[in-house]
Amino acid sequence: MAEVILKNVRKNYDPSIHQDVLRDINLEIKNGEFIVFVGPSGCGKSTLLRMVAGLEDITDGELQIGGKVMNDVPPVNRNVGMVFQSYALYPHMNLWENMAFGLKLKKMDKAEIEARVSKAADILGLTPLLDRKPKELSGGQRQRVAIGRCIVQQPSVFLFDEPLSNLDAALRVKMRIEIAKLHKDLKSTIIYVTHDQVEAMTLADRIVVLSPLKEEAASNLEQFGSPLDLYHSPANKFVAGFIGSPKMNFVKGELIEIGEKECKVKLTSGDVVVGCVDARRAKVGDSIELGIRPEHLLPNDHDGAHGHIKGVVVVAEHLGAESFVYLSVDGKDFTVKTHSEVVANSGDVMEVGVPKEAVYLFDTKGIAFPRTAKYNRDKGALPLV
Amino acid sequence: MPIVQPKSLIYRVVATHIFMWFFLALIVFPLLMVIAISFRQGNFSVGSIIPEHFTLDHWRLALGIPVVEADGSITPPPFPVLTWLWNSVKIASITAAFIVVLSTTSAYAFARMKFAGKGLILKGMLIFQMFPAVLALVAIYAMFDKIGQYFPALGLNTHAGLVFIYMSGIALHVWTIKGYFETIDPSLEEAAAIDGATPWQAFRMILLPLSVPILAVVFILSFIGVVTEYPVASLLITDAAKYTLAVGAQQYLYPQNILWGDFAAAAVMSGLPITIVFMLAQRWLVGGLTAGGVKG
Repeated sequence: MAEVILKNVRKNYDPSIHQDVLRDINLEIKNGEFIVFVGPSGCGKSTLLRMVAGLEDITDGELQIGGKVMNDVPPVNRNVGMVFQSYALYPHMNLWENMAFGLKLKKMDKAEIEARVSKAADILGLTPLLDRKPKELSGGQRQRVAIGRCIVQQPSVFLFDEPLSNLDAALRVKMRIEIAKLHKDLKSTIIYVTHDQVEAMTLADRIVVLSPLKEEAASNLEQFGSPLDLYHSPANKFVAGFIGSPKMNFVKGELIEIGEKECKVKLTSGDVVVGCVDARRAKVGDSIELGIRPEHLLPNDHDGAHGHIKGVVVVAEHLGAESFVYLSVDGKDFTVKTHSEVVANSGDVMEVGVPKEAVYLFDTKGIAFPRTAKYNRDKGALPLV
Repeated sequence: MPIVQPKSLIYRVVATHIFMWFFLALIVFPLLMVIAISFRQGNFSVGSIIPEHFTLDHWRLALGIPVVEADGSITPPPFPVLTWLWNSVKIASITAAFIVVLSTTSAYAFARMKFAGKGLILKGMLIFQMFPAVLALVAIYAMFDKIGQYFPALGLNTHAGLVFIYMSGIALHVWTIKGYFETIDPSLEEAAAIDGATPWQAFRMILLPLSVPILAVVFILSFIGVVTEYPVASLLITDAAKYTLAVGAQQYLYPQNILWGDFAAAAVMSGLPITIVFMLAQRWLVGGLTAGGVKG
């Protein structure tokens, strides 16, 4: 049980080349929180996790675990447990030995080792397999052993490095639920790295979104907040595009009317859309980018639609429960999530309704304008808390 | 095999067998010749492969048992072959053990640690190894002559000195083991580090047990290398009682009287330790030790 604090953390693998991997990362992770680091490949999320674990050194800044500065403390004394993407089980030891390895190194007495291992095996359903070697196990069981090896150490912080990426889809869902349950039972702090935003949204108390560091950027920490915060109030275009599936649609345009609660935008496609966005820091005529999530678009004749966007159907996917229609709006891809019986043939012109509460707006630098409402397709407009 | 094979397969199988038998005969024939010579009366290199006049005299002499000739005279064993054999086995085992220890530890450093000049040293070792040891004989002689003046135990005409020289030939073994270490996922050692293992413990308890097959290979190769090595041993060792079998066996072949029969018996005997070591080490030559540890 411990909180983890990162202050102005920077990582540079090779100081002779001025190419930082991570810059100015500030995080305060509370005791018992489930934190997910998410971002595309190369954003440094695994590196950041390995820095917390002590497998990579910290170029600059400070790392505290449980109130103690841990920059130069070796991994074993940080009281962390780590589950590797590749499981990293010791192939020549059976499951019992795998889990007991660390405890034996700490010269713990036999009864205590036995108690801890059998308790962990019990939690994870591994008891009947204890004398098997890792190669005799399935992927999901190996993953569980890797978690078990962490649990027996009773660490104050669990670190998971893309633990589910080697499992098939069905098992991934099952293990995801088990990890969520484990967090509930153990109540320890968990830091979990993934590139899968669905895992991030479903597991996390709070999400850290990282982006690949650009040369001139001050930091590659894009946003740190709860899943719904990121969904409804993304700080910038990167977060807006990363969180949500399918991806948010972006259309370029310019501001033609600015109000306290609402503004009006003329898109490059010629359509005019109203949005519940406070754009007062910009002025009329400024170029902006409008964002709208595929799941927030409405049929053209819907009462809730305050604006319309027209496009040409490229292809439609019917999944049964729902359909995705891929439009070309002013030459750009534009996804619409709609009901399953929609009729859309390639080449048709299709117009969709845009509720003003569902509009996101970004300036030319990609920074979001504050929204004044949020939207849910079932419930319509919701107040923004 | 679930794959459907065409009918012509059977002819290919037959052809393969014929080829393999032919190839095997090519390899085995010289060995059979030597064995035949060692059991043939007289010291001739030519003769039938199944001895017409079978005798164990050559073997008796090789094993140090005097032979009573037909006319009643007694031929004493000309050379202490068993002593030479023992010398060979002793030197080869000690050298191979040291080489395994030295090359695994340095291979670990090359495979896992970051330090300046790593690539340069690795390539340099490989290049130096390309020169035959024979080219350095003069230098080796001079060096060990000098060393012997200060540490007689390591100087000329000592087994320790010979072991010392052989231990310098580890570059290729370092490369071999390094290559093997690099196939083992470093996350295993990272997991061990988080579990509280020191680098030495991670090396000894995780990496080494997984590397047993390659260690066995290196042991066998260096053992064979030492048993069959001639130039350095013949230069350094001057005392007949300290010869290795490879050097000693040459004594049968003096130009005036080449003792083919006795030589053959000694030669067959020198193959024995290698065969025994190979059979002992074979149980360690197993694949799939790292299976199941990591997924990737």
